[in-house]
Amino acid sequence: MQEYKRIDIGKDQVVPVAERMRREGRYLVMIHGFINNDGQMDVSYDYAVNPAIESYHVVGETALPSIGAIYDTAATWPERELNELFAVEFEGLDTSKRLFLPEDMLETQGKGQIMVTPLSELVEKNLGGDGK
Amino acid sequence: MSYIVPIGPYHPALEEPIHAKLYTEGEVIKDAEVFVGYNHRGIEKLATERNAIQTLVLVERVCGICSHSHAFTYAMCVENINGVEVPKRGQYIRVITAELERLHSHFLWLGIACHIIGHDSMFMHIWDERELVMDLLEKMTGNRVNYAMVTIGGARRDIDDELRRELLSACQKLKGLLDRIAEIALTDKTIAMRTKGVGVLTKEDAIRMGAVGPHARASGVDIDVRRDAPYSSYDDFDFKVHTVDSGDVFARVLVRVLECYESIKIIRQALEMLPEGPINLGNKLPKIKEGQTVCRHEAPRGQLSHMVVGDGGLNNHRVSIHVPSYKNTPTIPHMLRGNTVADAGLIIASIDPCFSCLDR
Repeated sequence: MQEYKRIDIGKDQVVPVAERMRREGRYLVMIHGFINNDGQMDVSYDYAVNPAIESYHVVGETALPSIGAIYDTAATWPERELNELFAVEFEGLDTSKRLFLPEDMLETQGKGQIMVTPLSELVEKNLGGDGK
Repeated sequence: MSYIVPIGPYHPALEEPIHAKLYTEGEVIKDAEVFVGYNHRGIEKLATERNAIQTLVLVERVCGICSHSHAFTYAMCVENINGVEVPKRGQYIRVITAELERLHSHFLWLGIACHIIGHDSMFMHIWDERELVMDLLEKMTGNRVNYAMVTIGGARRDIDDELRRELLSACQKLKGLLDRIAEIALTDKTIAMRTKGVGVLTKEDAIRMGAVGPHARASGVDIDVRRDAPYSSYDDFDFKVHTVDSGDVFARVLVRVLECYESIKIIRQALEMLPEGPINLGNKLPKIKEGQTVCRHEAPRGQLSHMVVGDGGLNNHRVSIHVPSYKNTPTIPHMLRGNTVADAGLIIASIDPCFSCLDR
């Protein structure tokens, strides 16, 4: 069974942790995000500290510093994804181009539409009330 | 003269849709951009309205090549959250399926690479040999693509003694076929001239951009989840992680060929040491306990990670899927720079991209 260690940090520790991990030669596995049961944004930075994953969580923040300068595209792609799907703002991140969502979703900034809008509402909006 | 050359989203050299813009001076690519999202199906969103068994079916459809990898990784997440230990025989069967999947994926890629460089006889030869792997997968699982071999708590189908002997004998045959493919792939002048020194990604860039899998190993980065964070009994098996330093397309061919040998080695060991006992814990519909985890699996294209969040109910609170192509695709513009337009299709294909996986 693979080990998963959750470590809660503040937003001011995001960059120092990333810098330390980069110095130690750790891979950034992924930056994930979800809205927890309290309705708060939970962003986790998962680093491979083999054989475990060290997962650094920032809870309740919707504006975070970008670690793109430290981990290049390994960080900027998931940051752009979180920006599109959850409206998380990353300071210094170029969000002028879409990553996954259709161009027309950028008109409304596409922000959070996929993950926040209930599926039934998306079906109704896109396919009509009967889902066909 | 400066030109902007668009490739895709639909293009004969691409197996799946992606859009690349090449900024060229004559024939030479000076810069490039890639755009993804043409296969975005909202699978993560759908997963929040599915229970664990339904999600296995759903995540298998993220990808048509590495379908087992997705079900395998998702199941590991739910088992980790619930504190469930998969019976050893079930673990071995998962590994055998995963390595057969790697073989068919690498054969598929080698064939496509040969097709792109115009070596169509080799392409047809490799795909013909790949059929043996596909037949084995079909015999073992009942399916050629979405195998449905994984359930929460183990494997869904057993390998009886007759099938075990047949698979062992097929391993011997596969090694012979692979020897022939390796001899041609690694010594043929056409392949060497089209791939050596083309689309180079240095070790430093591969690490910085987070490249994974055979793509990273072909740039000299020594990573492999099966060895670095063992799971599902991978630490029971003797296998080598191959790396090559040159970082060009030829290195990617070489690494994948060598990895096929290792997969055959792992399958043979797993079959020879196949433990007695149950293959799963019973096909019950599990609740996903409150908790969160990330699991990693070395899919054919590299590290695949799933994050699952449970809230104590039957459905997932959140499933987040990140595939090897997510890490490898951003390296494409880097590899294209300084190469010619004629090599662009090959360089893009050399990461063995899966845009269906990437977009989810």
